[in-house]
Amino acid sequence: MAAEVIMPKLGMSMVEGTVIAWKKQVGDPIAKGEGIVDISSEKIEMELEAPADGILIAIAVNDGGVVPYGTVLGYIGESGEQIEHASHAGAESTQDVAAAAVAAEKTEPVSAAVTAENTTPAPAGRKGSNLRVSPVAKKMAEEAGLDLESITGTGPQGRITKEDVEKALAKEAASRAETAPQPQGTSQPAAAPLSSTQPAVEASKTASNQEVVERTAVTGMRKVIATRMLESLQQSAQLTMTAKADLTDLLALQRQLASELEKRQEGKLTVTDLIARAVVLSLKKHRLMNSAYLTDQQEPRIETYGHVHLGIAVALEKGLVVPVIRHADQLSLLELSKAIKSLGEQARNNRLSGDEMKGSTFTISNLGAYGVEHFTPVLNPPEAGILGVGAIEAVPVYRGEELQRRSLLPLSLTFDHRVLDGAPAAQFLGSVKDCLENPLSLLL
Amino acid sequence: MGTVVIIGGGPAGYVAAITAARKGQQVIVIEDRQLGGTCLNEGCIPTKSLLESAETLEKVKRASAFGIAVPASGVYVDWYGVQQYKNSVMKKLVLGVGYLMKKNKVQVIQGKASFLTDRVVKVEKPDGVEEVAADRFIIATGSEPIELPFAPFDGSWIIHSSQAMSLSRIPATLLIVGGGVIGCEFASIYSRMGAKVTIVEMAEQLLPGEDRDIAEVLKRRLEEDGATIYTGTALSGADAATKTVSVQTGAGVEEIRAEHVLVAIGRKPRVEELGLDRIGVQYSGKGIQVDETMQTSVSHIYACGDVIGGIQLAHVAFHEGEVAALNACGVEKKASYRAVPRCIYTSPEIASVGLTELQARERYGDVRVGEFPFAANGKALILHEQAGKVKVIVEPTFNEIVGISIVGPRATEMVGQGTVMLHAEMTADAMEDFIAAHPTLSETLLEAILNATGQAIHG
Repeated sequence: MAAEVIMPKLGMSMVEGTVIAWKKQVGDPIAKGEGIVDISSEKIEMELEAPADGILIAIAVNDGGVVPYGTVLGYIGESGEQIEHASHAGAESTQDVAAAAVAAEKTEPVSAAVTAENTTPAPAGRKGSNLRVSPVAKKMAEEAGLDLESITGTGPQGRITKEDVEKALAKEAASRAETAPQPQGTSQPAAAPLSSTQPAVEASKTASNQEVVERTAVTGMRKVIATRMLESLQQSAQLTMTAKADLTDLLALQRQLASELEKRQEGKLTVTDLIARAVVLSLKKHRLMNSAYLTDQQEPRIETYGHVHLGIAVALEKGLVVPVIRHADQLSLLELSKAIKSLGEQARNNRLSGDEMKGSTFTISNLGAYGVEHFTPVLNPPEAGILGVGAIEAVPVYRGEELQRRSLLPLSLTFDHRVLDGAPAAQFLGSVKDCLENPLSLLL
Repeated sequence: MGTVVIIGGGPAGYVAAITAARKGQQVIVIEDRQLGGTCLNEGCIPTKSLLESAETLEKVKRASAFGIAVPASGVYVDWYGVQQYKNSVMKKLVLGVGYLMKKNKVQVIQGKASFLTDRVVKVEKPDGVEEVAADRFIIATGSEPIELPFAPFDGSWIIHSSQAMSLSRIPATLLIVGGGVIGCEFASIYSRMGAKVTIVEMAEQLLPGEDRDIAEVLKRRLEEDGATIYTGTALSGADAATKTVSVQTGAGVEEIRAEHVLVAIGRKPRVEELGLDRIGVQYSGKGIQVDETMQTSVSHIYACGDVIGGIQLAHVAFHEGEVAALNACGVEKKASYRAVPRCIYTSPEIASVGLTELQARERYGDVRVGEFPFAANGKALILHEQAGKVKVIVEPTFNEIVGISIVGPRATEMVGQGTVMLHAEMTADAMEDFIAAHPTLSETLLEAILNATGQAIHG
């Protein structure tokens, strides 16, 4: 029987996922464990591995399709095999779905399968007809009025077990006890308030003279960040070099430009925008810095990009996200500035789409607002470089024999030594510094 | 790649070895005797072979009931042949484990291992002593029969289970101390082979872990086969000279003569000669202490199987061996004992999974119990094996199936279905429109489930 490739649930709050790109075509041989399709949730992007050996016999959701998690994206089977039946309710028959999907391929990015799935009401009004849950866990949750969607399953393939429901019920009871009015107005921990859609915080609260330990399950976004950052540090040869750029002239120029723009009501131009512009220009000059080290296939390879998709790290309360400005090298300074603001805004409102968080070729992380100087940014894999921006500091600097008040900006460049050596990385960093110190170059 | 040394080549050890090898480790198994451990060499496998011979004898004896005439005088037990068959089965399986070791490039060293430091074990081999170093260790040394303090094993009169499966002839009389799984299986072998068997069990019933009504079916059958069963009775003395044991019953002291006394009162973990004290691995009389990942008190040393106590079953050892090896290779996995089937290969067979009725009542109070007798099952009638029943225990709130006990023909195979139900956390109502093939013994399981919810058809 054909094996189904299913849109996984990547985080607690994930409702739907996007098929970014199939790496295989119908008819291609597939090895189990091989990456076959890139997908993304609102927060992260990942490659789905083939659940079985065989041939990709049908694609049910095409590139660009947005579907609820649990939806069948494609089928792996033997050559000539027919798909027997769809295991998910809602679609009439998978064969039709697959056929419709193929037909829809050329005209519309969103396949017929998606439409069918979305318009047919799921049984019992639950979207998760594909939700894996044990019969007794289901009954227990229904009895308690607990939303199964809010429970993370720990059984095989994320199946929700009795134990998971029991834990969720215990947590809910604990949170009820917690939020009940208490006489001495206890201070809530800094973490987000407990709710069923967020990683539950198991707080064991006691009298003030005792130790308070807060246990937070590592799930959702935190888990993704944890995995990716550890992977980055463990699986690349990253190191950081630092330099300081003299921003005195740039700051003067920025003030001029900003006041001019304000008059024209064209929004604000910030130092960050100018730094981003300097990075983009430098990446165009030092293309090796605009690369990725890829190990997804048997032979590792370095991909060097002609385009610059610039990632800008944005700290949210829940964790770090990296919205991506696509083709930043084709934007004017003003357009770049607007794109940075718009994506930052969307990120803070949690409205980024998967597309807006994927495909970056280089990332900028700015901790200047926190007064940080140099630091060691962690690569956003598979990118070969990330630039850390610190806080501008006014210091006395010798200009020739004369001591002047200058504004220095600490820059920390982490690069992957597998992709490039110290000298070219230093040249790139030097180029960024040059651009910042000769700000007129940023306008040209 | 690192080196993992596994001490013991039984079910826990060899599964751990294969798992670690597949994770790219260099694996060395140190085994004192034959690969396969107690299970293959002196436990599960040889006893099942003997039981199958007993079963075959019984079948031939009953052949006339099926219209097959067998001259009674022509049927006899060729005990040497029975042993040969058992040995050939064991040999094939032991070779199979050896093949698996070779296939997975696991080095096997024959010898007795003990820790010199927490990174080096000394191996006493037949041809000298070798020191083997590794960065991680998995202890899977298994268990051995417990002795009676006043009647230690002498190998001829007072014997343990390993010796009982290789007796030179069928004894005329056999006294079995302990009516647990091992004792009952041997009773079932030798009573059908023609020995006069006596079982002395301290608890109030045979198979103390199982429900009384289930154990009772076996007791009746053993008694029909000529066995004498004392429950609530302790052995108080043993005299090798007269081959007589004395038992303390409610009525007083009784003396029983027996050609052999099989002591089957349990098994204890093999922890003593490993040098665990030298390296600080914590253990007690119940076994080596491990957490859910099979890690001992020394972080790079793991233990699994009978040596950690717990449930002493080969299939549990398989699971623990895999868990230990995965964790030793850096893959996090916890052992799960959610649905472990328990099989007793007596005649009739007994198999169960999950809670017994007694345990379920203690935990859930008023449980629903659905039973179905094999007497009402067509296939059992055809097999001419109608003793026994299936019992399904359903908890009252969510109708979850929390326990299944089967006593009757092919119970040990049927329990597999029950194990799936418990593993998947099935509720009785989820099984309502389940279709069982007809005519099969398995229909009884469905009927018992329906009975628990009051809907059985044929009951």
